[in-house]
Amino acid sequence: MSKWIALLLASCALAQDPRQIIEEVQRRNRSQSQRYEGTLTVTSAKSRVAEKKWRYERIGSFGDSKAVLRFLDPPEVKGVALLVHNHRERSSDQWMWTPELQRDRRIALQDRSTRFFGTDFSFEDLEERDVDQFDFKLLGEEKFDGQMCWKLESRPRQNKRSQYTHSYLWVRKDLFVFVAVEGYKVKELMRRIAYRDYENVKGLWTAKTMEVFDTKRNSRTTMKLEKLEYNIPVKEDEFTLQALRRPQ
Amino acid sequence: MKLLRLLSWPYVRKHKLRMLLTLAGIMLGVAVFVGMHTANLTIQSAFQRTVDRIAGKAQLQVSAGETGFPEEVLERVQSSREVSAASPVIEAALSTSQGTLLVLGVDMTGDASLREYDLEGEDEDVIDDPLIFLAQPDSMIVSRQFAERTGLERGSKLTLKTMGGQKTFTIRGVMKATGLATVFGGNLAIMDIYAAQAVFGRGRLFDRIDVGLAEGVSIEQGTAKLQALVGPGFQVEPPQSRGTHFQSMSRGLTVSINLASLFALLIGVFIIFNSFSIAITQRCGEIGVLRALGATSGQVRRLFLLESIVLGLCGSLLGVFAGLWMARGIVPGLAGTLQEVFGHALSADEITISTPLAALAVVIGVLASLVGGYVPAHSAARVDPVKALLKGRTQVLSEGENRLRQKLAAACIVGCALLLGLGNRNEYFYPGYLLGIVSMILLAPAMSMWLARALRPILKLIWPVEGALAADSLIQAPRRTSATVTALMLSLALAVGFAGVSRAIYDSLLDWMNHTLNPDLYVSPSRSITAKTFRFPATMGDELRALEGVEEVQPVRNARVLINGAPVMAVSIDIKAITDRVRVRPVEGNREELVRLGAQGKGVIISDNLSLIRNIHRGDILEIPTPRGVLKLPVLGSSVDYSDQQGSFLIDKSLFQKYWGDDTANIFRIHVRKGYSRDRVREAILKRWADSHEIFVYTNEGIREYILKLTDQWFGLTYIQLAVALVVAILGIVNTLTVSITDRRRELGVLQAVGGLRNQIRRTIWLEAVSIGAVGLVMGAAAGIVMIYFNLHMLHRDLGGLRVDFTFPYAFMAMMVPVIGLCSFVAAIWPAEAAVRASLVESLEYE
Amino acid sequence: MIDLTQVSKVFAGKREVTALHPLDLTIPKGEMVAIIGASGSGKSTLLNLIGGLDHPTTGTISVDGATLGTLSDDELTRVRRDKIGFVFQFFNLLPSLSCTENVSLPLHLRGWPKQKTQDRAAELLNLVGLGKRVDHLPDELSGGERQRVAIARALSVYPPILLADEPTGNLDSTTGEEILGLIKDLHRRLGTTVLIVTHDMTVAHACERILQLKDGVILADRRVESPAAQ
Repeated sequence: MSKWIALLLASCALAQDPRQIIEEVQRRNRSQSQRYEGTLTVTSAKSRVAEKKWRYERIGSFGDSKAVLRFLDPPEVKGVALLVHNHRERSSDQWMWTPELQRDRRIALQDRSTRFFGTDFSFEDLEERDVDQFDFKLLGEEKFDGQMCWKLESRPRQNKRSQYTHSYLWVRKDLFVFVAVEGYKVKELMRRIAYRDYENVKGLWTAKTMEVFDTKRNSRTTMKLEKLEYNIPVKEDEFTLQALRRPQ
Repeated sequence: MKLLRLLSWPYVRKHKLRMLLTLAGIMLGVAVFVGMHTANLTIQSAFQRTVDRIAGKAQLQVSAGETGFPEEVLERVQSSREVSAASPVIEAALSTSQGTLLVLGVDMTGDASLREYDLEGEDEDVIDDPLIFLAQPDSMIVSRQFAERTGLERGSKLTLKTMGGQKTFTIRGVMKATGLATVFGGNLAIMDIYAAQAVFGRGRLFDRIDVGLAEGVSIEQGTAKLQALVGPGFQVEPPQSRGTHFQSMSRGLTVSINLASLFALLIGVFIIFNSFSIAITQRCGEIGVLRALGATSGQVRRLFLLESIVLGLCGSLLGVFAGLWMARGIVPGLAGTLQEVFGHALSADEITISTPLAALAVVIGVLASLVGGYVPAHSAARVDPVKALLKGRTQVLSEGENRLRQKLAAACIVGCALLLGLGNRNEYFYPGYLLGIVSMILLAPAMSMWLARALRPILKLIWPVEGALAADSLIQAPRRTSATVTALMLSLALAVGFAGVSRAIYDSLLDWMNHTLNPDLYVSPSRSITAKTFRFPATMGDELRALEGVEEVQPVRNARVLINGAPVMAVSIDIKAITDRVRVRPVEGNREELVRLGAQGKGVIISDNLSLIRNIHRGDILEIPTPRGVLKLPVLGSSVDYSDQQGSFLIDKSLFQKYWGDDTANIFRIHVRKGYSRDRVREAILKRWADSHEIFVYTNEGIREYILKLTDQWFGLTYIQLAVALVVAILGIVNTLTVSITDRRRELGVLQAVGGLRNQIRRTIWLEAVSIGAVGLVMGAAAGIVMIYFNLHMLHRDLGGLRVDFTFPYAFMAMMVPVIGLCSFVAAIWPAEAAVRASLVESLEYE
Repeated sequence: MIDLTQVSKVFAGKREVTALHPLDLTIPKGEMVAIIGASGSGKSTLLNLIGGLDHPTTGTISVDGATLGTLSDDELTRVRRDKIGFVFQFFNLLPSLSCTENVSLPLHLRGWPKQKTQDRAAELLNLVGLGKRVDHLPDELSGGERQRVAIARALSVYPPILLADEPTGNLDSTTGEEILGLIKDLHRRLGTTVLIVTHDMTVAHACERILQLKDGVILADRRVESPAAQ
C-alpha cells in the first residue's frame, strides 16, 4: 500500500536506469511510520455508491514494513482488521481479523487477486512492491495528466506470484512519484490506478486522492486520505496477530 | 418373417389377453431390473453430482475420513508449489421445513478461484458487501431455488436450528440457479467457514481441503506431492473418490438390488415359458398343418423363437419405461433411508437415465424371453404332424421329461451340497447358491404335482365336485400350471428370503441392543443419530455430569475413517467407563485383556462384521490414518457391534483425542442415578440447554425404536419384492386360468348340463386358482427356507459380516396366506365369469 | 310334458343360418321319441332347446310345467338337474373322476349328503349293469361301459325326461343295441319320457314315435305301431 501512497520528491542522478528510477521513488518515499484515515467511495457500474472508512498505520520501510488497516465504517464492518507483513524476498503475509467471530484468518497467496473487501483494489494491490521481485524496463517518456513522466514496464520475477503478467508505471520526472499504474493480464487491461492531488506532508510528496478503476467490472473506487501523518511514534508490537486480536 | 405375420399375428389378435400377460411378465422382470438399478444409480450419481458440483474446479481433496482435521494443515497444503489454490470446506446438513439444507462453509476470501458462485445481480455486488459477509457471522448465501421456495430475498432473515439453538441468519446473497446452486436440488447455502465452525460445533477443524493444482502438475504428481506433505494419515484423492466410498458404504443395497433383479427376471422367464407352452399346446393343430405342408422342424422352431424375440423386445421396451417410472417412486424413500443409515445428506430429484442400463435391460429382457421361449419352441418343433392333426387331447407332461428334470435336480442338489461342503470361499458359495436355485426350479413341476395330489382329497372332502375337479385340473395339465407355480414360488422365495433375513437381523439387533445399549438416556445434537452435522463440545459432558440425578456421562464420538481405502466407522469411547457398564462379549479374544489393553490405548476392539468382511483378526495390526499420521494398533479381539454396515472399531477416547485433536462428542450416553426419575433427568437436560443448544434426548426405548425403524426402512425392499410376488401371482394365475377354462370347456359344460349352478362353476375355478396359490405358497415357503439360508450366508460373508441365526419369518408367512389367497381369488374372478358365460352347446361339442 | 310353441332357432353370425323354422310340438309324458334327420337338419338343435342348453330365437318351450324362456340361468339349471337327464354321443364323462364320482356328480351338485349320494350312485351303476366297476376311471372302460356310466349319471335323480343325443353314435352296433336296450328298459321301468336324436333307423324304430326333420322343418311325425323290442 505504502508504495502507491507515499511518494517522495526526486533528485535524479541515474534517471535513465529504470530500476534506479523505482529505487529513487522508494527512497524518496521512505518514512519510519505512517498513519492516515482513508475514505473509500466505491461506484459500481450501475452507479451504486458504497462508502467505507479505514484507519491505516504502518511501521518500517519498504521491504520489511508492517501495516494494520482497521475498518471504521460502516458499522457492520467496524473493527474488521487486516495485518500485512511485507517481506523482501517473497509475497507478504496477510491476516484478517473479524471481531464478531473473534477469529483471524490467513489470506492465502492464491487469494490475492480477489477484490479487497468490496473495493476495486485487489489484495495484491495493497502489497509493497520490492524492486527485487520485478524486472523493469524503461519504455520512454511521455506526458501524463500534463506532467512529463517516464513510462516503465514491470514484470514479476519467478519467485513472485502475481495476477498481472505485466504493469505499466508512469513516474513524474519532477517529483519521482507515480501518477498512474496499469495492471495487465497478457494484453488485457485489468486495473488502472491513478494518483492525484499530490501534497507535501513533512517533506514527503503524497497523493491525497487515489482512484482505482476495474475495467472488467466497470467499477471505480476513490480513496481520499485524511489525517495523514508520517514518522509518528508507533510500537512494533502493535503489528502482530496478538495486537490484532486485542479489542479496540 | 412372413410366417410370423401369417400365423403369429392372428393368434396374438385372438388371444389378446394372454399376449398382454406375457408382455406383462417380461415387462415386470425388466421393470424391476431397470427400476431398482435406476433408483440406485440415481442416488449414487446424485451423490456424485453433489460432490462434483461442490468440488467445482478442485482436482484433489485432502481429508481425514469423516473426522475432520486441524486448521494448520491448510497452510501446509497452500505452501506447496504444486498447489494453485487450496480452500477449506465444511459441509453440513441442516433440517429445515423445506427439507434438508446443505450448508457449505467456505473461505470466501479466496474460494472463488475454485468455485463459481454465479451470484445474481452484477458480479459480487450481490453479496452487498463481501466485507460485511465476512464480518457478520450470520451471513448466508442461498440458491435462487431455495430463496424462492422459502420466499426469502437479500436481506431477509432465516431462522435455523443449530448447535447454539435457534439461530437467525441473514441472506446476503442469492446464487443464480445454475452450477453450484443446483447442488442438492437447490437446497444449498453458503457460509463463511469460520462462522460455520462455530455454528456446527466443529471446533477449529476443517472437513476437507479442496485443491486446485498449479498449471502443468498432473493429478498423480499432485497426489504424490500432497500425500507426502500432509502425511499418510490423510486421504488425498480426486473428488470422485467420495462417490466410490459412498458406493462401498452402500454395497449391501447394490447386492440386494442385483439379487432382486435376478429373481424378477427369472420370474419373467417363467411367465413367458408358461404362455408359450400354452400357446404351443393350443396351436398344435396349426403346427401340424404347417409341418404337413412341408415346414421343417427348424422353421417351426425359428417361428416360435422369433415370436419370443418380438414379444421380448416389446415387453422389454415397455419394461424400461415402467422401470423408470418405478424408480421415480422408489428414489425418495430410498434416498431418505440411505441418508438416515449413513448420515450422508442425499437429495435426488431427477431420475438418472442410463442408456447403457436401458440397452442392457432390453438385451436381458429379450434373452430372458428367448430362454423362456426356447423349450416350448423346441417342443413345437418336435410336434408330430400326424398326431397334431388328430384333434383333441391336451398334451400331458410326459413322464420322461419329469424324470429327467428330477435327475437334473438331484444332480444340482448334490453339486450344491458338494460346493458348500468344499469350503467357505466365494468361488464355491455362489455357484452353490445358483445350483440351489436351479434345483428348486427343476423340482418345482414335480413338487407342484405332488402337492396338487395331496390337496385333492382335502378339497374333495369340502367340495366333492368343485374341489376334486379343481385339483384334477392342476394334476391333469402340469404344463399349464407348473410354470405359474414356479414363478410364484420364486417370487415368494425371494420375499420370504428377505423377510427371513430382516427378521434374523432384527432378532440379532434386539439382542445386541439389549446387551449394549443400556444407558438410560442418549443426548444427541440432531434428531438423526447418524447425522454428524452437529457435535457437542467436550465441556458439555462436564455440564451434564453436574446435573442432579446424572450418575455417569459417557461421550461417544464416531466417524468413518478409511482403512485400506474403504470406510470403517471409528467409535471413540471411554473403554473403561463403558465396559464397566456393558459386559463385553468377545467373539475373538479374551475379555479381561480386551478391556484392559483397550482402555490403556494399547489396541482396538473391532466389530465382528469388520473382522469377517476384511478378514482382520486378533493380533493383526490395524493401520488407522489420523491427522497426526498413521496409528498402528494391534487388534485385541472382536465383539458383535452393529454400529455400521461396513464394520467399526472401538478406540479409547484418549487416543482419539490425541491423534485426531478432536474432543467433541456425537452422543452422550447417560446413566441416571438410582432413585431418580429418568424422565425428570431428561427434562432437566432439555431445560438446561433449551436456550443455548438444540438437543435431543432419547430414552433407551426411544433409541431402540429409532434403530428398529431404520432397520425396517432398510428392509422396505422386502415390500417391493412382495408387491412383485403378488403381481406375479395374479398374472400367472390369470394366464393359467384363461387357458384352463378353454381346456376345461367341455368339462364345465357337462357340469352345467348335469345341473351345476353358476356359482358352482365359478367355485371350481376359484378353487383352482386358490389351489395354485396354495401350492405356490407352500413351495415358496420351502424355497424361502433355502433362500434364507443362502442370504444369511451372503450377509455373513460379503455384505455386512453379520453373524445372525436362522429365523423363519412365521409372521410374514402367516400374513402371506390370506394375501396370496385373496390375490388368487382376484385373479380368478374374470376367468370364472368367462367360464359361466360360455355357450353351453358349443362347450359340449368342444373337442 | 314337453310343449313347443312356434319355436325357431337362427344362428347369427357372418351368415345367418336358420337351424329350425318355427314349429309346434307336444310330447306327452312317458313317451319315447326318436328324432331323425340328416346332419344339419336341426335335430340336435331341437334337443338342446328342449334341454335348456340353448335359447330359442322365437317361441316358448315348456318342460314339465316350467316355461324355459322366463327362467334365469340358474333356474334353468335347476329345471335341468331336477327334470332332465342328458346322454351324449361322446359320453362327456369327466376323465379324472371314477365311475361312482361321475355318477355322483349331479347329486353332489345338488348338495346331497355323502352317504345318500354314494348309495344312489351304487344303485344307479347296478341299474346299468356296472356294479363291479365303480372305482374305474372312464379311460379304463370300453365305449359301451362309458355310455352306461353316462346314462347312470343322467338318471341320477330319476328325472322325468331323458334326452339322448346320438347315444349309440360312437359305439359299434352290438354295443349300440345293448345301450338302446338299456334305455328302453329304463323307459319301461321308470316311465321316463325319452327323446333320442339319432340317424340310426334301428334306434328310431325302437321308439314309439319318430320325428323326421329336414332343413329345420318337421317333415314327418309318425307313431311306430309296434316298436321293435330289444
